[in-house]
Amino acid sequence: MLRVAIEVERRRFQVAADFEVAAGERMSLFGPSGSGKTTILETITGLVRPRTGEIRLGDRILLRTAAPAMDLPVWRRRVGLLRQNPALFPHLSVDQNLTYGQGRRRAQDPEELIRRLELGDLGRARPAQLSGGQAHRVAAARLLLADHDALFLDEPYTGLDRRLARLLTDLIRDTAERRHLPTVMVTHELPEAQAFADTMAVLDEGRVLQRGHASEIVRRPASRRVAELVGYVDFLGLPEGGTLGLHPDRIRPGASPGLGRVLRGTVRRRRPSGAVWEADLEVASSPTATLTCRFDDVPPDPGADCEVTLLDPPRFDRDGKLTAETAR
Amino acid sequence: MSGLPVAAPTLLERAGRAGRAGSLLAVLAAGLIWVALLAPIIALLLHLSPSSIVSSLTASGAFAPTVISLEASGTTVGVLILAGTPLAWLLAHDRLPLPRLWEAGLLASLLLPPLVIGLLLIFMVGPLTPIGAALSVIHLSASNTFFALVVAEVYESAPYYVLGALTAFRSVDGRLEEQAAILGDRPGRAFLRVTLPLAAGGLAMALATAWARSIGAFGAVIIIAYHPFGLPLQIWTTLQETGLASALPFALVLLVVALPLPLLVYGWSARAQGRDRG
Repeated sequence: MLRVAIEVERRRFQVAADFEVAAGERMSLFGPSGSGKTTILETITGLVRPRTGEIRLGDRILLRTAAPAMDLPVWRRRVGLLRQNPALFPHLSVDQNLTYGQGRRRAQDPEELIRRLELGDLGRARPAQLSGGQAHRVAAARLLLADHDALFLDEPYTGLDRRLARLLTDLIRDTAERRHLPTVMVTHELPEAQAFADTMAVLDEGRVLQRGHASEIVRRPASRRVAELVGYVDFLGLPEGGTLGLHPDRIRPGASPGLGRVLRGTVRRRRPSGAVWEADLEVASSPTATLTCRFDDVPPDPGADCEVTLLDPPRFDRDGKLTAETAR
Repeated sequence: MSGLPVAAPTLLERAGRAGRAGSLLAVLAAGLIWVALLAPIIALLLHLSPSSIVSSLTASGAFAPTVISLEASGTTVGVLILAGTPLAWLLAHDRLPLPRLWEAGLLASLLLPPLVIGLLLIFMVGPLTPIGAALSVIHLSASNTFFALVVAEVYESAPYYVLGALTAFRSVDGRLEEQAAILGDRPGRAFLRVTLPLAAGGLAMALATAWARSIGAFGAVIIIAYHPFGLPLQIWTTLQETGLASALPFALVLLVVALPLPLLVYGWSARAQGRDRG
């Protein structure tokens, strides 16, 4: 169990994080760049000192600013951090890099890791000879081979293609499960955050706005700001007050009252988009909102009326808070 | 003739031509400097006949100054490694209060003329000063002794080592040291496994430069350590007493003793850095 409650001073704002990650649990910290995600990981690792707070890992106290104060140095925290910069040791071979952190005891079998990350014939290479993706995989393998009590990943997929990203996700997932490690991944890509984690925390300007299951946050964002961060592109004013969140993946052509709220609009523009079509609609009640609906086939001509269904859309009150009542 | 207009040289082309002329000038200037710097060494080799070398070096007592020079600058290099390396590391990692003040101190000893350093050393460690008195208690004296020779050489060469080592330590990416800590290395271990190997090329260069400076130290040496004679003073006194012809072989010895180490280190460190950067 990792327990974090910290306040860290940053130039523009204060980062305040308060969360728990159970042993074996995977959490994604999701937020735009510059929202303080990396600061949180670096604080837990011990590279950044918070103004106040407490960090516990299992039965160990890594940091406590209140009396009796405690501040374990980085090398005693046994907390692994994979940063965006792979930071391979340039004077050591790949093999020497991989085994660098294995002082105390072997955390897992290096052969299996090397095979799964497809690093087989690189053992003798120097970091300068590796591609960006290879360097990143070596850094990941080096981290997993060291004997840490928690894993932190800062945008681990930078420079990896989709197949290798999947590979890495699976590997970290297996490792976290087998060794019962609390694991936190930082990312600004929502699908990455969802694919990796059990739970997700949405961070903005140093504050955790919402915590919950990855799918739940997208369906029920607690506020308009969270909705914007998880992909709601616009908000539709309602005649009865408040707004509905518009998510491009959650608007269907045709009237299906059982699935959500049905709207009537006028087609303004249409265009092919990949294998499907998109049409921009104007809704009489809220002419400024952009409502973009995907069609399997050619949408109606511009000027024609058309019905669409917002699938169970989240509804926000005037303060931008999610309201409990459904919007059907 | 077709009616095609002949294009006036564009701005870019003119700039290119100016650039070529400029680079030609730069190459000329570089060549001039190179000749100016190396010509004395070539002249030295041209003026020496093998027989004159042999005769001056086999004269009685001719070998002693070489030994003394090697011993003194060897000791100096040892002192610099022990005292200068921690200072450079602390400065590179901003672990010292008022870092500018420390750097200013190093620059001062770099910028002071060696002769002035010698004069000031008399005020600091001469027999009539508190430090001199304290030294005499342990039967040391910082004037005209081997110890004085080392003191003078340390003062003349320390800034070359410390500033070079500072640059070498600064060139090591701090994230690598953090990574070592994340992987469980306490600072001392991270220093040995990461910082030192990565800074080794730069450290060796700094040490080689300091070595060359210390073995050739003259200004401070002639004031506080006229005895025992090292090579530079041997050259000076030979020149004064018997003239240029008999001083030149000692100059050659000084070059032969002082230069190979720095040149070797230079080649090695360039290769090591090439390897780490790929």
